[in-house]
Amino acid sequence: MTAGDVVDRIKKNIGVPWRDTTYRDTYKAGGPETPVTGIATTMFNSFDVLQRAVAAGLNMIVPHETTFWNDRDDLTVVNADALFREKRDYLAAHNVVIFRMHDHVHDRRPDFTYVGSARELGLDPARESPPGSHRFTIPETTLEALAVDVQRGLGIRTLRVVGDPKAKVSRIQLGVGYATPAANVPDVDVVISGEQQEVDGFLDGPEYVADAAALRLPRGWIMLGHNVSEEAGMLEMAQWIEKLVPELPVQLIKSGEPFWAPK
Amino acid sequence: MRALSRREFVRIGAAGAAAVPFVLECAPAAAAPTAQAIIDRIRQNVRVAWNPASVDTFKGGDPSTVVTGIATTSLATIDVLRRAMRAGANLIITSGPTFYSRADAPTPGSRRGAAPPPPDPVFAAKNDFITRNRLVVWRFSDHWRARTPDPFAQGIADALGWAKYHVNGDPRRITVPAMTIEALARDVKTKLNVRGGMRVIGQPEARVQKIAVLPGTIPIQTTLAVLPEVDAIIAGEIREWESSEYARDLAHAGRSKGLILVGRSLSEDPGMNICAGWLKTVVSEAPVRWIPAGDPYWRPAA
Repeated sequence: MTAGDVVDRIKKNIGVPWRDTTYRDTYKAGGPETPVTGIATTMFNSFDVLQRAVAAGLNMIVPHETTFWNDRDDLTVVNADALFREKRDYLAAHNVVIFRMHDHVHDRRPDFTYVGSARELGLDPARESPPGSHRFTIPETTLEALAVDVQRGLGIRTLRVVGDPKAKVSRIQLGVGYATPAANVPDVDVVISGEQQEVDGFLDGPEYVADAAALRLPRGWIMLGHNVSEEAGMLEMAQWIEKLVPELPVQLIKSGEPFWAPK
Repeated sequence: MRALSRREFVRIGAAGAAAVPFVLECAPAAAAPTAQAIIDRIRQNVRVAWNPASVDTFKGGDPSTVVTGIATTSLATIDVLRRAMRAGANLIITSGPTFYSRADAPTPGSRRGAAPPPPDPVFAAKNDFITRNRLVVWRFSDHWRARTPDPFAQGIADALGWAKYHVNGDPRRITVPAMTIEALARDVKTKLNVRGGMRVIGQPEARVQKIAVLPGTIPIQTTLAVLPEVDAIIAGEIREWESSEYARDLAHAGRSKGLILVGRSLSEDPGMNICAGWLKTVVSEAPVRWIPAGDPYWRPAA
């Protein structure tokens, strides 16, 4: 079976019309003719992930995010870099084929990343209201207790929280990756998401929530990090591909949280 | 232009009274400059060509307000405004936005094609706070960061006690005595008062000596150009599909490289301390002080 065969089945079954204008969901190494020995899904296509996939006998990687450290995986951005050449040479030497799945993962329903993130956070789909809103009501707790639960549940080293730790919260708006909901969305106490630029965006979360706290309005902002917030859903993607391609081994290889913090 | 002394200011005001009666009417207060006059002085002294399209404009209050004191900060949060007031300042000079966006408008923005957003209680309360207390808020970002040497890097280098290690007087490139990334990260955390905003990539025991100090937000192009030439970068923030993944790959490939992120606002706090020091050389009529915004983030104890 070739990578082209796998990609054909993905395109036929994704449930939304394939957008050929996508620059993200394309081959980043190898091509449709590359024979496939096994498939790994992952979040970030780190050098570590590539080596673990090759060691596991999987030469097709389906990452949600970038391989060459820029959104378009534009090689003109990186081709003067020594580490880029090492990574590219490693891919060629091990006959690795990479097909990114980003835009269509977010287009399809349900979006794997929201399903995975809600599962990892222990947010009950039955308490999502209205359905598909990514808005969940939990029994009232404090922002600090919620943050502790999230930190322990996901095993995150560098969780970042803004807001009064004692604020009473129960209404959660879930976001994923960089699709972080605005911190001022009405009828919500806490936004949980991956990443947002801190300053000079459309509605800067940290400053807004800090001001809400100064005014004693119950608001919280919990940033999981881009990797952690979407990686759980790559399990759903692996399971979905496994059904489409029963001939090949398919598994999730986690890139994991990149950051640590000193004690 | 140097600052006018109180006596000179009064004399000019009196001499020009016939031509400008307003000055005479306001004579008792004329010694203290207005917010607009302070900003004009900044423009004349900053030694950076002024770009009228920059974000460096008034964000709240009346520019004709007579200034009793000036506070500089990296982020004009309500907490900072309150502390500034308690310190007797009514002109707040911030490197970050006041109203939570690059547009920095006093009401929430609306996305193209979307209905206008409903009134927002936080925007409303902040507007009210500024008006009620007769504060003036002015942003000083684009022009302040265009100065040489980079005042934001200077602020961090000074806070870390690294003034003696500059390479060619440039605080963005510093060679320090060799230490591990973990020790460096701990030093940065302690001396810059980083709380939950601290995030590090690199082997903790790898030794580093050549440091790039790049406050603010850096794109992958900067990281690709700089990190191969130094051992570690200290920055505010990055995009997580860019520089952090590059740094992770470098560390995985065995390079002794580190990326230390402290958050955008926190990375600009010390540079606004430098700004307060500079403003004192331009404004003699009103006290100037730095009010650090601090790290907005916290994280639960492990």
